[in-house]
Amino acid sequence: MTARTSRSVRIREDLAAVGVMLADLTRRGLAHVGAIIARAYRFCESWLLDSKKALYGLAVTRILLGVAAIGLLLANAGTRLYAFGSGSLWNGESLEAKSAFPQIWLFSSFHHAMSNDLLYTALYVLLLALAVAFTLGWRFKLVLPVFWVLWVSFIEANDMLGDQGDNMFRIVVFLLIFADPAARWSFDARRRAVRPRTRSADREQIGNLFHNLTLVVLTAQVSFVYVSGALYKAGGTPWSGGYAVYNPLQTDQFGTWPWLSDLATAWGPAVALATWGSILVQLAFPFLLLTRRTRIFGLAAILSFHIAIAVLMGLPWFSLAMIAVDAIFVPDGTWRGMTTGLRSAFADARRKVTDAEPAAPEEADSPETSAPTRRSRR
Amino acid sequence: MTSQPLSRRRSPLVRAVLVVASVVAAWHIFASFLWIAPPSPLREVVPAGALKGYMLPLFGQSWSVFAPEPINGSYTLEVRAIVEEDGADPAETEWVDATAAEVSMAQYNLFPPRAAFAGTGVASALKSGFDDLTDDHRVIAGLNYFEADWENRMAEKMKTYGKPELVDAYLPREHMATAYATQVALAVWGDDVVRVQYRVTRQNVVPFASRNDPDATPPSPQVVETGWRGLVRNPGQSDAAFRDVFLPAYERTADK
Repeated sequence: MTARTSRSVRIREDLAAVGVMLADLTRRGLAHVGAIIARAYRFCESWLLDSKKALYGLAVTRILLGVAAIGLLLANAGTRLYAFGSGSLWNGESLEAKSAFPQIWLFSSFHHAMSNDLLYTALYVLLLALAVAFTLGWRFKLVLPVFWVLWVSFIEANDMLGDQGDNMFRIVVFLLIFADPAARWSFDARRRAVRPRTRSADREQIGNLFHNLTLVVLTAQVSFVYVSGALYKAGGTPWSGGYAVYNPLQTDQFGTWPWLSDLATAWGPAVALATWGSILVQLAFPFLLLTRRTRIFGLAAILSFHIAIAVLMGLPWFSLAMIAVDAIFVPDGTWRGMTTGLRSAFADARRKVTDAEPAAPEEADSPETSAPTRRSRR
Repeated sequence: MTSQPLSRRRSPLVRAVLVVASVVAAWHIFASFLWIAPPSPLREVVPAGALKGYMLPLFGQSWSVFAPEPINGSYTLEVRAIVEEDGADPAETEWVDATAAEVSMAQYNLFPPRAAFAGTGVASALKSGFDDLTDDHRVIAGLNYFEADWENRMAEKMKTYGKPELVDAYLPREHMATAYATQVALAVWGDDVVRVQYRVTRQNVVPFASRNDPDATPPSPQVVETGWRGLVRNPGQSDAAFRDVFLPAYERTADK
């Protein structure tokens, strides 16, 4: 009798203990989850507000986008009237614009100038000058919006000759309005180094916020583009069959180096690797970014993919615009390391040159000065 | 972590902007995702017009490039003309390959100008419009129309065979192709051109499996040939600006 009651008491106590333990665990678990969430929130808040991220990467984005714009303008300079101006009006664009942009007043300058050779050329030269200022990061806050508006007016005035690179360029340059791509490697950065800006803590944090959110949005933009590109392709027989890259390379428009196209597609296994490889790399791109080693592989792979498109398919500016955006995924430390490495390599080479010429008296006096001294940009 | 003292420094203004800007960015990312990804039932979570209204025109883009089937053919647009030199009988010229002249500007060029594929664009637009027409419409398109007001007369005639929406989609392309062919003809044969005709060909590539076979014959070309047309010039068109680029390119390819 007593044995049974003592056992039932023990069972009851055990059950109560389990209940208490569960309650404890739940409370501690919740506190833990709460702490994790709080820490994650603080991390995100601090990441967004306390400093601008990827300043060098975004400066490279600015420079490469600018180079793409300059390159496109120069490559088309001799045929500008034929392709976009008074020689092209057979396309009906001047009667009724095909894209939505020229129908908006803000983006209509090139559209209205199509039939006037002098005016068109003047706008073309102005756009080129703005592209140079954009690349150099000169008065960037002012130049960027003007350049963007004029660029969109230019590129959208002839819808038929456009490609998806134009959309990427328009979207990315627009997003750059909210960021600070001229904070490094630019004329503005030089000016800021001489006369530092004084800003209230609020303004500083809001500026950081916009800059960093832009990076997030850009990351999403390129990731979606690559992944959806892969999803669209995966459904096609030539892609799953491993020979899709052959077809466009054999056309006039996307095989601008016919003998190179033949060479590149002669060996079947290489065609299959290139075909499947481009789908896989596009699909995996955002995930490859997650760790350092896979990021290096992913960026190298996507860079080769774009260089192949640039050369073999005759789409250099589209490719350069895509590469430009990928530059934000290279950490600032790496960009700085690259420039330090380049500078010391140049200094070494410079020293070798001066050592080889003992006759030059100026250098012989003070060989140390041959190392370039530069103002710090931090 | 230094976030504790920093977070105490955040003013209500910064926190408010943080919330609003993050929400806007999140919406933009979500909208971009829905727009860029292949259309899926996930789009139903956003009210029908909202996505399009937000994305167009500023964020307009489409990434089904070279997918699901990449382009596997080249377009050719050839032009010939009737030339009436004063006093002489009207003479019919040989066919001239306008696309070949333009494409020569891009071949073996690391930085091809966009001008290289204007004719390709015309050919592709014309052929897809023509392919959409019914057989009856195509017969009409094959007839000669060159006397005054020919475009309206051709439109009326085509529409008597029904499906006017197809005709309306096709006619602007026919107009553009004729205006382009007019420029080509004026550049090559000068101002005595009175009529033009063009022929659009789509030539698909040698199938992958036979790519290394030197005797492989390309698939038979698809040809669209319409009738003779009166000249078409849009207002403001400069014949000289067209000729200055086209003629040297044409002469380069014609010499080969």
